Amino acid sequence: MELVNKKLDLEQFWAERQEVLQSWPTGRGVDLEEAIAYHKQLPASKVMAKKLAQGKREGITFAQPRAGVALLHEHIELLRYLQDEGGADFLPTTIDSYTRQNRYKEAETGIEESRAAGRSMLNGFPAVNYGVDACRKVVEAVNVPVQVRHGTPDARLLAEITLAGGFTDFEGGGISYNIPYSKDMPLEKSIRYWQYVDRLVGYYEENGVSINREPFGPLTGTLVPPSISHAVAIIEALLAAEQGVMNLTLGYGQCGNLYQDVAAIRTLAELAEEYLNRFGYSGRQITTVFHQWMGGFPQDESKAFGVISWGAVTAALARVNKVIVKTPHEAMGIPTREANAAGLKATKQVLNMLKDQSLPLTSELQLEMEMIRKETRAILDKTLELGEGDWAVGAVRAFKAGVIDVPFAPSRHNLGKILPARDNQGAVRFLDFGQLPFDAEIRAFHQEKIAERGRKENRQPSFQMVIDDIYAIGKGMLVGRPR
Amino acid sequence: MARKNNTLVLGVIGADVHAIGNKILDHALTAAGFKVVNIGVMATQEEFINAAIETDAAAILVGSLYGHGELDCRGLRDKCIEAGIGDILLYAGGNLVVGKQDFASVEARFKTMGFNRVYPPGTLPEVVIRDLRQDLGEGESNDSEGPLG
Repeated sequence: MELVNKKLDLEQFWAERQEVLQSWPTGRGVDLEEAIAYHKQLPASKVMAKKLAQGKREGITFAQPRAGVALLHEHIELLRYLQDEGGADFLPTTIDSYTRQNRYKEAETGIEESRAAGRSMLNGFPAVNYGVDACRKVVEAVNVPVQVRHGTPDARLLAEITLAGGFTDFEGGGISYNIPYSKDMPLEKSIRYWQYVDRLVGYYEENGVSINREPFGPLTGTLVPPSISHAVAIIEALLAAEQGVMNLTLGYGQCGNLYQDVAAIRTLAELAEEYLNRFGYSGRQITTVFHQWMGGFPQDESKAFGVISWGAVTAALARVNKVIVKTPHEAMGIPTREANAAGLKATKQVLNMLKDQSLPLTSELQLEMEMIRKETRAILDKTLELGEGDWAVGAVRAFKAGVIDVPFAPSRHNLGKILPARDNQGAVRFLDFGQLPFDAEIRAFHQEKIAERGRKENRQPSFQMVIDDIYAIGKGMLVGRPR
Repeated sequence: MARKNNTLVLGVIGADVHAIGNKILDHALTAAGFKVVNIGVMATQEEFINAAIETDAAAILVGSLYGHGELDCRGLRDKCIEAGIGDILLYAGGNLVVGKQDFASVEARFKTMGFNRVYPPGTLPEVVIRDLRQDLGEGESNDSEGPLG
């Protein structure tokens, strides 16, 4: 099947649906027309796109945790606790890693072992194994919108079941849930699978049901320069819009330098709207999400709260629509519900204290915004050129050529030639440009920033600098100075 | 002695795609003079064992960051024994279990499962390099070039 960026033909979509729904027994529980009726009776307070629209009008930054466990009743208890004790504005259902790789048999074993052990042996909620009715129990047990968060290259069945189950937001995309989450899956395939997911969301939209879509912004979550994640987010927004998606939340993962992070959030929606309008997709609701630091965390819980709070400050000053919250257990893996609520409470305290303050548009901020715009446009325009006008084809070719290159990604379909490193103020720059299509001005800017740090540390910039940066926040610093 | 070489099989087990620590370890272990056979993320037990047999490796280094490590690592030692490499060194490191658990209990559980060394998250490569040199008896070895630096 040839990949093109074109809305899937409805007949073809119905035929493919039959195959998707038959790939696991719970697929038979999906009745699309009944699901549309179910969504229509949900109150507006449980619909992600509606609550985001309200927040955008009123300038609110909402806070959302990550959470998911193997057993249904424990998952419901966990979400209620995060809502009632943590004050979560939106709730997640994080899906376990077996389900993300379509390994439903192993997920079934994980459910059974969790029952036997009396504790969750899975790192998330195996929604496909549970099916539509169990998902509705989750949605009905809480008062706020619930989003599916995962990392699934082929999420067609997961989308069918969770959307029919009443979830009103679905994270991911054909690039952002492949390159950081898979080893072998070809991009042609994952983009095609996500056209299906977006077509399904588009079908709900055509029938009066708003489903929000959220491309996964942080990618590998470690030293990803803003222009790389912006380019991916905007391509996924364009691909989703073509399939009829009307509500999009674009994401970015905190790098750690305030000016760079605020500049990234402020340019993200602006650039997305520019490209969506330019390619004929006007009238989409675009919101933004900021992920608190996604890399290695300090083990010490008080230090972790420092990292969390710095993310909250940045989210508030960037005026982002939503922030995804980390927990003081981050360094140790999956948090207890208490630790998860603690991260939320720390974040909300900071958001509330800063809601009436703003960061003035200084020359430093302006410079960061201008560099992000130039770099993102350079990547996007070269991608479109490679695709001879087609964004889907262009994305595949751009990854092959290294025109888009995600640092530290597990996928063999990512060139992996670029190297990011922090500059002397902690902003993430390029130490090695790989095959990125940047002009002399952009290159000179990054080279000088990295050289400045090298002079300060009296060492030649090298891979050791990158390693030091990766460990730095876990060891109590932003910039990985020589040890 | 059994350890003829300093070849290591490195990988991330199960359905786990965390690649960053894997890339750092590959770099640091190679720089320290080890021959690293990196099978990457999402590796099965069989892939670890096959790589170890093919390269006559002295150790298998299993990373797991996503919490399913306990499920994924079970039976690895037995499979090594069945495959005829029962005396190979087995190291495991990362976020090995779901939730914040006392590391001493996690370490004990993995040692019962047949692992020689168990590391908590955030362990620096230097620590692993030091342990490998000790466990491989590099000081007494005269048939290897020995690690650099």
